Amino acid sequence: MDLSSFEIDNSVSCRLASQIPDVCRTEDCCLGIDEAGRGPVLGPMVYGICFCPVSKKQELKDSKVADSKTLTEAERENLFQKLDEARSYVGWALQILSPNTISTSMLQRTKYNLNALSHDTAIGLVQFALDSGVQLREVFVDTVGPAEKYEEKLSKRFPGIEVTVRPKADSLFPIVSAASICAKVARDRVVKGWNFAEDLGEVDTDYGSGYPNDPKTKAWLLKYLDPVFGYPQFVRFSWSTAQTLMDSKGVIVHWDDDEEDGEKAAQRQNNKSMLSYFSASAGGNDQNPTHQTHRFFSERRLKSLDTL
Amino acid sequence: MATKKKRTPNVHNDSWVVIAAEPVVDTQKHESDPAFVRLRNPSTDAASLYMLSSDDVQLFEVKAFEEDFHSWFVGQAVQRDGRLLFVTPMDPLYLILPYLIKSGREGKFQPVDQVVMDEEFPACSRLLSCTRSLASLHHVAEEKEVGKLKFHRYSPEKTMNWLKKKVERTVLALKARNISVGEGVKSSTYIRVKSESDYHEEDYLRYAHGLISEYISEDLSKALFKHLQLPELTSPKETEPPSKKRKLSDKPVEAGEDYTKFNSADYARKPPKKMTAAQKSLAKVDKTGMKTMSSFFSPKGKAEKK
Repeated sequence: MDLSSFEIDNSVSCRLASQIPDVCRTEDCCLGIDEAGRGPVLGPMVYGICFCPVSKKQELKDSKVADSKTLTEAERENLFQKLDEARSYVGWALQILSPNTISTSMLQRTKYNLNALSHDTAIGLVQFALDSGVQLREVFVDTVGPAEKYEEKLSKRFPGIEVTVRPKADSLFPIVSAASICAKVARDRVVKGWNFAEDLGEVDTDYGSGYPNDPKTKAWLLKYLDPVFGYPQFVRFSWSTAQTLMDSKGVIVHWDDDEEDGEKAAQRQNNKSMLSYFSASAGGNDQNPTHQTHRFFSERRLKSLDTL
Repeated sequence: MATKKKRTPNVHNDSWVVIAAEPVVDTQKHESDPAFVRLRNPSTDAASLYMLSSDDVQLFEVKAFEEDFHSWFVGQAVQRDGRLLFVTPMDPLYLILPYLIKSGREGKFQPVDQVVMDEEFPACSRLLSCTRSLASLHHVAEEKEVGKLKFHRYSPEKTMNWLKKKVERTVLALKARNISVGEGVKSSTYIRVKSESDYHEEDYLRYAHGLISEYISEDLSKALFKHLQLPELTSPKETEPPSKKRKLSDKPVEAGEDYTKFNSADYARKPPKKMTAAQKSLAKVDKTGMKTMSSFFSPKGKAEKK
């Protein structure tokens, strides 16, 4: 697995793929989808697909790729090796969603939630397989959100392909297990060798599992909190763990789509808050309340100053 | 996410981001530095910030671009306010004029250095050192020379003519800059089907008068309005032609729709719909794949069709 194309710029989403086996272009194929790194506050989320001819399902099963969650990292690496050796009939593709992609998607003005991001990534990978000429007949997916809805969405998107969405699909269907191994191996490797774009000097890489409840992860998050910038791009800013820490320890940053209450909001909506009636002098800043600035200035947000 | 953020009061900044006209920055030629001065704003009668170039040769006004939710990154530092100061040349006569008018009430010719005096703003006497000041006093005052001394008396007529010229020049500048002077706000990035030439001369005059009024007292502004022979706006509706041709009939004409509410000031400020903070945050949620509440109550067949 060559991760260099992601490591060149780990702020974006990146696709990696194996060679497409020739048999996959001629024979009916099945495809599995799974993801790794959905929960951690650190590192990317990796989506993986694995595909092989329907006729080769048994061979895949025999290689014991099943139940990836119970495997150790070494065993996963081992199994990935096996998949690589079976490259004459097994193909895979990965979409690495950088933590920065996840942060910016979830925190943009029109919120793009993790489920939608996951669904779209999965769809993108299936489309990639189709575009590469893989003869897809069956697709197996480990569910994200309600299985029924997701199945309906995928079936509509890919008519003519039999879509099966199941919880725990990675332990039910070997092709999904294979996909999950690819995804997990890629995530492990990326996290381990993360290239920090930021100039942090010697970075302490002892960040534990990356999951919010891991004490090591929490300690790391506290250590690398910059009061102005928050975190390196390695951290998912949209995670409440990160947000809570930034809110309490960092400088407060206001965005114009923030919810706000009280005096400031009232001022903007051109009505007075109750509090203003009790303050020393209401509107003490305006020396001349009757004077209305010409719209040339007000439209351009220009005003005179009385002090610097 | 719903945590309430508290705004800390603005801390004093000792640096500003300024865009200034060339002569301000060009300090090599002169000995002293340009300086910010507080002077009486002729329009508001309160203090405003101005700048005098070195040796008080030229007057500049200081305007600040200020909008919420802006900050600067300056070098390796963050500046909390996103304020941008503009230092632009200004005619000192505007600031001298109020003092002339005040002393003009006595009807006597007076030496100008005795007129331009202000206990509150002692710096105002420095205005007279500006190159343009003394030379242009004749635009707004009658002059008398006795020996080597010059005396001045405020002249309303001269002032009106001077201000009218200012308005006319402003109109030219507005046209050259393609400033939208019509009613209503237009985005400068908005691609217009109709050209701006649809504006009437009157729109420009009115707009320019409003701009000049930022630099003169309210009384002068009213007088100038009359002098320009601008028709009084009785209702804002009249500035725009009626959108539809009215049918001629003997029956009394009634308004089909009431547009007047759009003209009131508070209409524009109000958000289209009032939502509580909770509703707003709900509105932001991505609802794809979620059923609406009402779908659970509608007959089953219908819901499935969807």
